[in-house]
Amino acid sequence: MTESATTTMPATSTARSTRNSSIVFDNVTKTYPGQTAHALDSLSIEVRSGELVCLVGPSGGGKTTALQLVNRLVDLSSGEIRIGDTNIMDLSPIELRRTIGYAIQQSGLFPHYTVAENIATVPTILKWDRKRIEARTKELLELVGLTPVENWLKRYPGQLSGGQQQRVGIARALAADPPVMLMDEPFGALDPITRVAVQDEFLDIHRAVGKTTLFVTHDIDEAIKMADRIAILKPGGLLAQYDTPAEVLARPADDFVAEFLGAERGLKRLALTTVAEVLAAGRDRRGSSPVAAAAGSTEAGNPVSAAEWPEVSATMTLREALSLVSAAHAQGARVMDAGSHLGDVTLHELICPPADDPARTTEGARI
Amino acid sequence: MSGFAPAGDPVIPDYGQASDCVINNGFFCTDWFASQWSTVFWPPLVDHIYMVLIAVVVGFLIAFTAALIAYRKKWLAGPIGVAATFLYTLPPLALFQLLVPFTGLTLLTVEIALVCFTLVIIFQAVLAGLAAVPDDVKRSAVGMGLDTKQLMLKVELPLALPSIISGLRIATVLTVSVATIAAFVVDSGLGSPILKAVSSPFNTQFIAAGALAVLLAFVLDGLLVLIGRILTPWTRVRI
Ligand SMILES: Nc1ncnc2c1ncn2[C@@H]1O[C@H](COP(=O)(O)OP(=O)(O)O)[C@@H](O)[C@H]1O
Ligand SMILES: [Mg+2]
Repeated sequence: MTESATTTMPATSTARSTRNSSIVFDNVTKTYPGQTAHALDSLSIEVRSGELVCLVGPSGGGKTTALQLVNRLVDLSSGEIRIGDTNIMDLSPIELRRTIGYAIQQSGLFPHYTVAENIATVPTILKWDRKRIEARTKELLELVGLTPVENWLKRYPGQLSGGQQQRVGIARALAADPPVMLMDEPFGALDPITRVAVQDEFLDIHRAVGKTTLFVTHDIDEAIKMADRIAILKPGGLLAQYDTPAEVLARPADDFVAEFLGAERGLKRLALTTVAEVLAAGRDRRGSSPVAAAAGSTEAGNPVSAAEWPEVSATMTLREALSLVSAAHAQGARVMDAGSHLGDVTLHELICPPADDPARTTEGARI
Repeated sequence: MSGFAPAGDPVIPDYGQASDCVINNGFFCTDWFASQWSTVFWPPLVDHIYMVLIAVVVGFLIAFTAALIAYRKKWLAGPIGVAATFLYTLPPLALFQLLVPFTGLTLLTVEIALVCFTLVIIFQAVLAGLAAVPDDVKRSAVGMGLDTKQLMLKVELPLALPSIISGLRIATVLTVSVATIAAFVVDSGLGSPILKAVSSPFNTQFIAAGALAVLLAFVLDGLLVLIGRILTPWTRVRI
């Protein structure tokens, strides 16, 4: 009885891990045999427990190498990598890999296994009993949004769209509840619309399960959206900058980073803040009069009055809201949430978000 | 087991009353075929099936093992491939001549020659199948912690199956055909009614035996297709 109770309650296994599962790169260098240039050069970063770090950089910058060093698909040349307090060299590669979730571009799903069999790969080699595997498989399909699960269990990867394959790939990587996830451009082959949807789902999953995640992408927008911190590698495998998306965008460490972020760096930064946050900050500043900002609209012969400003939703990013405001030739936007008018934001507030001002963020933190 | 190039018994049976077809040596005499089925055709057909199955199974075991070794030790793939190709290019009749002094006019001689013939086809098919397993699939398998044996059994071999089965199909069809010349060595298989008929002008016997060989090839090929379908369900699904 106790036995069946524990095996049918796998939900607890996706709970946030309290163990230390940080990934530490300590002066890690990799040179492939027969090559003079380093693929990765003295990389020292720490991915903290539960953190999602994106590794970005140009093609050939050593991102995949860095990732594969962690699960020992590639051997270190020098330096040390630790997961938690364990040096990865202290475990056998096979043991190590079974504690690391691994998802790659094109999903790497086994074409000859059904969805259920794919997800059950690691639990099966770990010899979980059948009931527990079944329950876990269903739980994971629900987690990645492939419901009702009965419709998906018996399909082959060839019968799934790219986005569905990536969802199954994520479920498979999570199957044995590894404390650490490595993802190598998992969404790289998806069309833009599917990619955004899968990114959003993955972020939700990440927040729910809190795995320490090292996520490789060459898409800086993806990194800005997903990452707690971004590590930017330059050719030759040198770390150019390691910081939060906001910091990287506000203060690129060097010309390489600035160029990598692109000319739209200023706009990309606006994608980090939601309209709701600006609205809240604006209220703090003006007391609680939400429409005071309307004053801005009388300037410069503006053709659209505050009452006709476009409607934006509170959950939109400033970048999205700005796009609507620009399209409407307006000086601000009306913030709506489920049909009710929450307040207005001005063009100025949209392009100079409060998060930009270090003084205000500290002030905000104190309140 | 009669001698090399068995001299024919009387081919046109002289008992009972012969039909017009038999008397005129028609292209194909159904009545004669039916009456001789159980004596002239059925036993050689059964022998033929055994001969082919033994050759293909033994050939598969050898070629498959060789392919696994060549897959692990890449430098061996070239030499093994060349050796297998050499055996394949040997004319089977010449090979019989070579073997008879050692193994005699026996089934063993025949099987050795037939097996030699299947090796290169199966070897290349297994190797090609293993080589075609997508890299990202192998990388994710290894990355998830499958060991070498699990990778081979759970991923590489299953994915190589379609190629292995096509190799087996070609090897089997070819062996059915080549096995007919075994009659030069042993009085066995569908080759012997053909060979006996060659020395007489009677059509029905070699046409029937030849047709049986063709039919056998089709049936065995069909069986392999069926087995392949059962073993590789994922290759048939499309949205
Ligand atoms: N297996 C390998 N053997 C030799 N060189 C390699 C190998 N894998 C990667 N490289 C080289 O190492 C460098 C970094 O590659 P990689 O880590 O794949 O970069 P990224 O994932 O950022 O595109 C490149 O110059 C690449 O050519
Ligand atoms: Mg890469």
